[in-house]
Parts: sequence; structure tokens; C-alpha cells
Amino acid sequence: MHRVDTTQLLKGVLDLACLAALRDEDGYGYDILRRLRTSGLTEVGDASVYGTLRRLFNAGLLTTYVVPSDEGPHRKYYALNAAGRAELQRSGKIWHGFASTMNDLLRERETA
Amino acid sequence: MITTAQDEINLYVFAVRAALGDLPESLRDELLEDLPEHLAEVVADGEGSLAERLGSPEAYAEDLRTTAGFVGGFPDPPQRAARLIEVRDQALVHLHRLDARLGPLFGAAHASEFLVLLRPAWWVLRGYLVAMVVAWMLDDSGQPIGLLPRIGGSEVVALLLLAIGVLASIWFGRRSLSLTKWPQRALYAGSVILVLVALAGFSEADSSRRDANYTDVNYDNPYSNIEDLFVYDEQGRLVTNARIFDQNGSPLRLGNAYCYDGEGNYTEVQTLTYPYCADRDPFRMPAASASADPGAGDASGAPGANGPGPVDPSADPTSTPSVSPSLGSSASPTPSSSVKPGSVSPSAR
Repeated sequence: MHRVDTTQLLKGVLDLACLAALRDEDGYGYDILRRLRTSGLTEVGDASVYGTLRRLFNAGLLTTYVVPSDEGPHRKYYALNAAGRAELQRSGKIWHGFASTMNDLLRERETA
Repeated sequence: MITTAQDEINLYVFAVRAALGDLPESLRDELLEDLPEHLAEVVADGEGSLAERLGSPEAYAEDLRTTAGFVGGFPDPPQRAARLIEVRDQALVHLHRLDARLGPLFGAAHASEFLVLLRPAWWVLRGYLVAMVVAWMLDDSGQPIGLLPRIGGSEVVALLLLAIGVLASIWFGRRSLSLTKWPQRALYAGSVILVLVALAGFSEADSSRRDANYTDVNYDNPYSNIEDLFVYDEQGRLVTNARIFDQNGSPLRLGNAYCYDGEGNYTEVQTLTYPYCADRDPFRMPAASASADPGAGDASGAPGANGPGPVDPSADPTSTPSVSPSLGSSASPTPSSSVKPGSVSPSAR
């Protein structure tokens, strides 16, 4: 069997996680990584977030803008656009359905 | 040796690029397009070397590779053609299963093995069909071709053409197994057309055999187109509710006992008296027209127009006014029985 590990699970929901991390506030790459880790996804890697953001941008779900900085490099901010918000809502619903199904399934097995 | 942050970033990116060496150049460039800027943000936001914080460039490249599975957007929805292929593949799976299940019925592992044995039979049939199609295209004699490939009605030509067609088909069949893709498809398409031709020809031959009997009967019966009978007395007046019998006293049932009633409905006439539909009187007299209403057969408004008078269908035929073809006028109870009903031609009025 495939042993459940967070890295494997992350692959399926990383898009959704990145969209969710941008829901309330725009952010640049490393910033988003930190939000995800602070939220508890400690195993998520920088490369994964970088790759995912690029992919979401290419899919037309994100917009970007560059914020100059006096100290340090310019920062490329990502923001959800309308399509991104719609996708977040749609995928979020799917996730909720999936998660509650799994929860029910596990609860049944445990009480049985 | 790393001197500046920028050098460190460049080195890191270089190593990542190297680890992605198996990817197409354009894809790799696209993946790494923003990486130096991104790493600069990372460096600016924390302490420690990139390798310490992000892991080895090789691991980083591996992560990138998995998350960048669909560079250029989300995976496209499956194309129509791909979906068709999927449907076809599923159908093939079922077909193979059926093939194996039916195999024992034919004494083989697969039913298709039995079909392969039948292949030469198809070749012969195909030769015949091709000969028929050729004859049909070349024949301009205008005569029916029949079931042999006749050209100009010649049996000799037909047999010759048949032999050539069958031999050619067998010769071709033995070689068609090694055809390449497109000729093979053309062959299948041709076979489908031939099968359709065969089905059309078969159904035509079948129906002409069946219809032969029908046409004979219709040809011999000159009364097949009679719908109704109209009997006139010597005054040329229409006799309604006439009853007609043969020499054995059996009532004659002729025509089509359906009629439009007063409300315009097409209903079956229940009584065996003629005419069924008095209002279709082909020689209607103005005075009698009122009496020709089928709903009022006795037509009291026109005395005398009804000849022998109302007929009770349940009454004994011998005691009711009736016209019997073979007995002639002798059995006719019309007032002047010396005159045959037949002698009163409707045209005489």
C-alpha cells in the first residue's frame, strides 16, 4: 500500500493551499511559503511553492506586480484575480466534501 | 568560493538547471525564468546559505519537477478524439470478453477463431457481390438483372464474370492479410459498402418473391377495385338497402364497407346492404338526392325513390326485395319484374 505521508498529500492540494494563502492578502513567493508553514504545512518546500505559483499564474488564476524595495531586492507579489477566487471556491468545496467523507470514513472504522 | 549573495544565487540556479538537464530547453527556461529573483527574495528574508535553507539544488530541482507537471496551465480537458479512442478501447475490452465467452460454443478458445475459418467463404461471397456490382454498372439493357451478374441478359457473360469475380476475390483475399494501414482501411470500407449492397439486393429479391403472389391475385380479379355497389330500378332511381345474393343464396360481400357518417367519421357499415354510402351515388338525381342520405335510408321525404322499400337485414332473404345476379329478374320483387335491373342503364335517365 501507499503509506500516507504529508508530502504525498500535499501534492494534491498545493494549488488549493497557495490560492487559500492569497485569499486575504497578496504576497511574494517566500512570503507565501512562510504563511503555509505557519499554518502548519511545515513540510512544504520552497521549490514546490515557487513552481505552483508559476503554474497558477500561467493558468490565469493569479496576477503579479513588482514592489520595489529600498533595502534588498524587488519583490514580485502575487494576487488572486476573479478566476483565481472562483477556482479557490470551487476547489475548496471539493476539498470540504472530500475531507468530510474521509473523516466520516475514519470515524466509522474507529468506532466499529 | 561564494563571495556575494548574487553569486550564491547564480550558482544555485545553475545547479538546479543542471539537475533538470533532461527537460527540453524551452521548458527548463520557463521553469527557471523567475528563479533568480525568487531566490533573491529568499536570501533577503533570512539567515543562512541557500543550501541550508532550501536543501540541495538537486532536491530543489526534484520538487520543481513534480510541481511543474503541467507547465503552461492546468491540464487540458481530454480532446474529442481522445475520448472517442477511450470509448473504442472500452468497447474492445467488452468485445474481447464476449469473444472469449462465446468461444466454447464454436469449439475454440475465441469465437473469432471460428470467424477466421469462415474467411474463405466471405471471399467467395465477396467475389459474387463484386461481379453483381460490376454487372449492374455495365448493364444498360434495361432488363432486370436477376440474381446472376448478367450483362445485356447474357448468361455466358454472367457465369464468366462470376468466375472472374470469385477467383479475383480469393486471390486478393490471400494477399490482403499483409496490407498496410491505409489500404487495409480502404478494404474494410469497400467491404462495408458491399455488405450494404448485398443487404439491399437481398431484401429486394425477397420482397419481389413475396409480392409475386399478390399481384397474380389482383390481376385475375376485375372487382378488386370495387368499393361500393349502386342498384337502380327501371326508372333510374337508386335502390337503397339493396341485398345481393349469388346462386346459392349467399350474400355477396363486395367493396369496402366503410363510410363517412353524418358527423364525418369514417366508420364501418354494419348492415350487408348496398350501397354502403348512398351519398356517393354516381348518377344522383336531384329529386332523389334527399333520399340518398345514408342516415335516412328509407327517405320518407321522397316516396318511390327507394324502390322496393326499407329492408330489414334480419328478415328472410326470400321474402325481402332483393336482386340476385344469377336468378335475374325472376326473383326481383320490383313492381315491373319483367324488366331486369341490369337493363336499366343508369345512363338511360
